[in-house]
Amino acid sequence: MAEPRPRRMPTRRRHILAASALMASLALPGAVQAATPGNALVMAWNIDAISTFDPAQIGEVVTSELLQNTCDALASFDPKDEKNVVPSLAESWQVSEDGQQITFRLRDNLVFPSGNKGTAQDLAWSMHRVVKLGFGNAASLTEYGFTKENVEQMITAPDDRTLVMKLDKSYPTGLILQAIAANRVATILDRKTVMANEVNGDLGNKYLATHTECVGPYRLRQWNAGETVVLEANEQFWGPAPKLRRIIVRHVAEAGTQRLLLEKGDVDVARDLTPEDMAAVEKTQGLALSRTLKPQLVYWGFNNANPIFANEKVRLAMRYLIDYEGLGKTIMAYNGVPRASFAQIGAFGALDEKEGQPFKLDLARAKQLLTEAGYPDGFETTMIFGTLPYAPPIAQHIQANAAKVGVRIKLEQMANAQLFARHRGREFQTAMLAWQTAIPDAHGNASRLIANPDNRPEAKLTQYPSWRHAFQSEAANKTVDATLLERDESKRVAMYHQLQKDMMQSGPSAIMFQSVMLAGLRGNVRNWTWHGFQAYYALVSKE
Amino acid sequence: MAEAAVPARRTGGVAAPGLPSWSGTALRVVVSIAVTLFGLMALTFFIGRMLPLDPVTAILGDNATQEAIDAMRAQLGLDQPLWIQFGRYVGDILRLDLGTALTTGKPVLDDIARVFPATIELATVGIVIGTALGIPLGVMAAAYRDTPVDYFVRVFGLLGYSTPNFWLGLMGLVLFYATLGWVGGPGRIDTAFQWDVEPVTDLLLLDTAMAGQWEIFRNVLSHIILPASILAFGALAYISRMTRSFMLEQLSQEYVVAARVKGLSWMRTVWVHAFRNVAVQVVTVVALAYAFLLEGAVLTETVFAWPGFGRYLTNALLAGDMNAVVGCTLLIGIIFVALNLLTDLLYRLFDPRTR
Repeated sequence: MAEPRPRRMPTRRRHILAASALMASLALPGAVQAATPGNALVMAWNIDAISTFDPAQIGEVVTSELLQNTCDALASFDPKDEKNVVPSLAESWQVSEDGQQITFRLRDNLVFPSGNKGTAQDLAWSMHRVVKLGFGNAASLTEYGFTKENVEQMITAPDDRTLVMKLDKSYPTGLILQAIAANRVATILDRKTVMANEVNGDLGNKYLATHTECVGPYRLRQWNAGETVVLEANEQFWGPAPKLRRIIVRHVAEAGTQRLLLEKGDVDVARDLTPEDMAAVEKTQGLALSRTLKPQLVYWGFNNANPIFANEKVRLAMRYLIDYEGLGKTIMAYNGVPRASFAQIGAFGALDEKEGQPFKLDLARAKQLLTEAGYPDGFETTMIFGTLPYAPPIAQHIQANAAKVGVRIKLEQMANAQLFARHRGREFQTAMLAWQTAIPDAHGNASRLIANPDNRPEAKLTQYPSWRHAFQSEAANKTVDATLLERDESKRVAMYHQLQKDMMQSGPSAIMFQSVMLAGLRGNVRNWTWHGFQAYYALVSKE
Repeated sequence: MAEAAVPARRTGGVAAPGLPSWSGTALRVVVSIAVTLFGLMALTFFIGRMLPLDPVTAILGDNATQEAIDAMRAQLGLDQPLWIQFGRYVGDILRLDLGTALTTGKPVLDDIARVFPATIELATVGIVIGTALGIPLGVMAAAYRDTPVDYFVRVFGLLGYSTPNFWLGLMGLVLFYATLGWVGGPGRIDTAFQWDVEPVTDLLLLDTAMAGQWEIFRNVLSHIILPASILAFGALAYISRMTRSFMLEQLSQEYVVAARVKGLSWMRTVWVHAFRNVAVQVVTVVALAYAFLLEGAVLTETVFAWPGFGRYLTNALLAGDMNAVVGCTLLIGIIFVALNLLTDLLYRLFDPRTR
């Protein structure tokens, strides 16, 4: 008898098995590749805030940092000391005797990615453009006397390599270099390329939303909103070539996800870790934390248009409801350091860490001040705050302490856009926000958080938090103006010290913390260099 | 829209005077779609304008002067009365111009074209997994009612409904990505492959398969499989519970008893006779589940750094970017209308009584 033939599997079952095998093979570990390219730095960062790359318009942290690495300014902050200004586009500068004119000598090898040569005329035009467009960044120039009407006469380019900047007053040269020359408002744009893409007289604003036509170590190669930003080394760069060819920023909004990517080696740097993640990273072999102070203050502001908060004893009482030390060790352990002074740590003229934070939680003192102010039984108020991760627990902490002295605070959390709108419109009683200055000098915050040139509601000086708080002190205004123009540095420092001490007692807001920037790094990342005002991608290398 | 189409289907279509029945039905469908989308657009537009959000601050920054703010408000037309703003907006939409997204500086239509493929890909893989598992589980739960099989499916479904996707996603990443290394990490593709795919449809699985880039295809699949499975879990719960419910009703019918008396096996009775009768309802459920996935799963997209539609819409909403919000809302409306239409067509295909 013939041997029975093996039974053939039914066709349908064979197909199912084949499909299953294919699916299984596709999901096997072999499909997974980790590790980042050796010639690129890959960062995980929440880049939702990016909306444009126009230097005249950008205002938030992520784009500022990216632009600093794509668009050199006239001068730059020293990587080793943020208070020092060093040459960048300008190789040197001279200041007139009266301090009202600075003449910059530009390098002769400035070339745009398009191949066009960068000249002083391009730079002057770029600075005029900032003032003419009038976005928030224009304040960095208008604050020092430049207006739409006079900017073309005040910033001129007599030849290809000379830029002359005339000032309306004798400001301290160091301050001007920090405030203007090292600022993104003093970057050079490829005028020909930008104007070739002008739409309806927008001076290339729409085009520059997605392009960087600058001179810098990197150039923007790709930006997919909410997905990725890719910078590529600029081969025409005037300085030393960057160590890494590409900087890739992957949009990762979730901190826990950033940590997993870092641990697995799918990114080299994680920028938005939570305190818990940072603690874990710190303990993980092969990973490291890099930490630097940020020129940003977290504060609890009071609306002085409200008669309760117009009383400076009430405002002072509120400061004693904050457990600076306790919060600094817990909720803000990785995010900030206690700071009550308006001048950030490290700034020119700032009080030291101890003098700049003299407060402690003292409910008895708060109660006494409230009684002296005429509110022995406390009062009812509200606090609005946004989506900063540490805002809710800090607000609850203050609410609990306030209740103990009879102050009943109703908390309202909202989207940041709504928070800013209400703050700018004086539609709040108290508000918790953060404010960042662009210069390492006490004047940066004194001119915004303290000085208020016109307190009338119709003045709408919404760029001044002091105006938003309806706070105006003639004495403080005079001090801020006088200190700005004081040319004796030691006197200037002394004046700032006194102003800080006064404002900690009577200022419009209870400043609570100075923010800290932290980054989780893979062990093979070398020379991650940054401070509060700049991060230097071109110096980073990988092993 | 589906509700509007139902009477026509049930009555066999009542033609408008002077029109044949099919054209009357088509006219009603078109009018119904137009009214639905217009209502949606008006509602979103006016709610958006009334919200206390300030899109101008998002554009100019917190440091801008009031003069600059007023100028930008005028430039965007936000200083005009609401009805004029709405009229202009409707006019733009009729020219297929959804405006510029304030948060990205790009046309809303371009933004949607960029983020939607990522969501379509994720939702499609998710619905395939959810359907492939959900229907058999639902049928088996009904066929073996009140047995351990049924209990398992019901508990599994309950978990699918009640487990937060955010938590599930993170746990999935910790286990399958960080610990076991079985799947790719967050994102659609490894950085190393990012520039190797030539985008044709922006559906990476399709693009890499069409280009024969099988190594990259595997990489893309390893990235999508986990988030799609997380989404599928929710869809599976919905599909299995609904399928079970439909099947229980059918299995209590007399024709099932008759089939069994005639000697048909239980499985053949269940799958060939009873299931065929619920197929139409199941199609509706699957279509609805798919529509919900296409809306974008914000939390899953956030955890998995998935550059999709849900995250885009949420960010736009938080920033007060109403051009983007209204554009996305219109798209969601169109998805639901389209899927309802498709369901109606499938009804006609599967159920002769509706023709």
